Amino acid sequence: MEQPRRITDSFPRRLRRRGPGRPPGRLKDKKDKKDRDKDQDKVQVKVRDCARSPSQPAPDPALLEMLRRFDLCWEYGPCTGITRLQRWERAQELGLSPPGPIRDALLEHRDNPDVTYRWVGMGW
Amino acid sequence: MFSEQAAPTAQGLLAPPSAEPPTFPRVPVSGYSDCSQPFQLGERSFSRQYAHIYAVRLTGMRPRLERRARSRWGNDIALRKLSELQAGEKCCVVGTLFKSMQLQPSILQEISEEHNLVPQPPLPKYIQPSDELILEDELQRIKLEGAIDVQRLVTGTILAVYGSEQDDGRFLVEDHCFADLPPPLPWNGPSSDRFVLLASGLGLGSVSGEALLSTQLLVDVVTGQLGAEGEQSCAAHITRVILAGNLLSQNTQSRDTINKAKYLTKKTQAASVEAVKILDEILLQLCTSVPVDVMPGEFDPTNYTLPQQPLHCCMLPLASAYATLRLVTNPYQANLDGVRFLGTSGQNISDIFKYSSMDDYLEILEWTLLAGHISPTAPDTLGCYPFYKSDPFILTECPHVYFCGNAPHFQSKLLQGKEGQRVLLVTVPDFSATQTACLINLRDLTCQPITFSGFGADSED
Repeated sequence: MEQPRRITDSFPRRLRRRGPGRPPGRLKDKKDKKDRDKDQDKVQVKVRDCARSPSQPAPDPALLEMLRRFDLCWEYGPCTGITRLQRWERAQELGLSPPGPIRDALLEHRDNPDVTYRWVGMGW
Repeated sequence: MFSEQAAPTAQGLLAPPSAEPPTFPRVPVSGYSDCSQPFQLGERSFSRQYAHIYAVRLTGMRPRLERRARSRWGNDIALRKLSELQAGEKCCVVGTLFKSMQLQPSILQEISEEHNLVPQPPLPKYIQPSDELILEDELQRIKLEGAIDVQRLVTGTILAVYGSEQDDGRFLVEDHCFADLPPPLPWNGPSSDRFVLLASGLGLGSVSGEALLSTQLLVDVVTGQLGAEGEQSCAAHITRVILAGNLLSQNTQSRDTINKAKYLTKKTQAASVEAVKILDEILLQLCTSVPVDVMPGEFDPTNYTLPQQPLHCCMLPLASAYATLRLVTNPYQANLDGVRFLGTSGQNISDIFKYSSMDDYLEILEWTLLAGHISPTAPDTLGCYPFYKSDPFILTECPHVYFCGNAPHFQSKLLQGKEGQRVLLVTVPDFSATQTACLINLRDLTCQPITFSGFGADSED
């Protein structure tokens, strides 16, 4: 169970000096701060369903970049809330002729949630 | 009731009964096929936004609208997207309509605590002279003005406008067009007289029991237990009964038990339980004699969003033992004896009535057919399932009979299209208020009302 995301994660973190006699619950914040520093540069928040299985080869960043550009193409409709494969099939049925290599890549890396993901916005 | 067809030599009721009681076999069911698979939802997931259904609606209807625009305004008109518009250039744009209305109930206004406002009471119509029309396509939106009737149109319609962009950023419309009637279906209707009875708004479970007599008369006519031999032989020509929604009355939906304390309401039964038992008994009588299709309506125990799923058979234990009972979705589409029926329980039409200046239910029904979409106001003001793959409410083929239930009056019209479409438009009246049902003759697509009123106190003067 990963840490619940907060809306303040995307705000810049300001370090505040606290005097002695900290209010209770401070220890929990300390643990969160460590996680937050790791992904401070992330602007989008994605919900990951499960950890990536280490046995599969990691998809190269060029492929992920191509998939991200497919997501942002306005011709194929909205990309939120459905998997990339569902979006590709829908575009195919509506006759918008989406590029074939995208589908091959999606089917090849079917188990990888980074590749197939459904973009879920914050708070859903 | 089909009195012209009653055999003239048949015995009247004043003659002694004939020595051998005659039997009238009902006309057998020959082609029936249910075409409402697009309206049946399997697993439902509500974790999607409604942008998908609007995107699919626009992409799905755009080719048809572009063809219509070309045939109407010339083959060489410029079809532009909103992002490609240039000021002053005459062009055609296809997009989704949005009507911004001041009186439209908004959840944000209701929960706005700083204004301390009481939520506005439900009004019969929410239109105002200050409403504005905005055309949206995939990326941008633009305000419309000019030769377009703002009061008449509703949100969610896909249309093509012809005009030019003004300097102040608005689009001056010179002409507009809708998708028009969908392509026709081949006609395979029967050659002899066959009737389908359409009724809606039975309203069981209401406080007054007057409608129960009329409902029982309806059942007796259909099962051939009323009238002399002439009427009975005519009733044998009824091949199907379709109940188009609102089988339960609005009174069964009372919500005061929610506000009361739990210890006061523990033993009270929901009013709909008794009403469903009455419905089961009525359906049992009908199902022993004729195939019945039951569509859910606004006040029936099924889901609220369109498309409404069929009532569950566990609620009707007596009647669902018979194979003649079919519990179907709302909207409902089927092929009966080669005639394509398509209809709803009326929520789409009454929702357009609230947000448009059109007053006549038949006019609104015809308008939805010409706009090519069963309910354009879903999901804006009418609850709808968040489809993402395709919009099942787009009309792809022209039905032969297009009906809507729970209308205030009975009206019917035969519409002829340019490509040979013949559609019978029927507004089925609310049975609990008007005691009227409709009989549709499948051979020649005519429709006649049939009223079952008993003698009440007001008919004595």
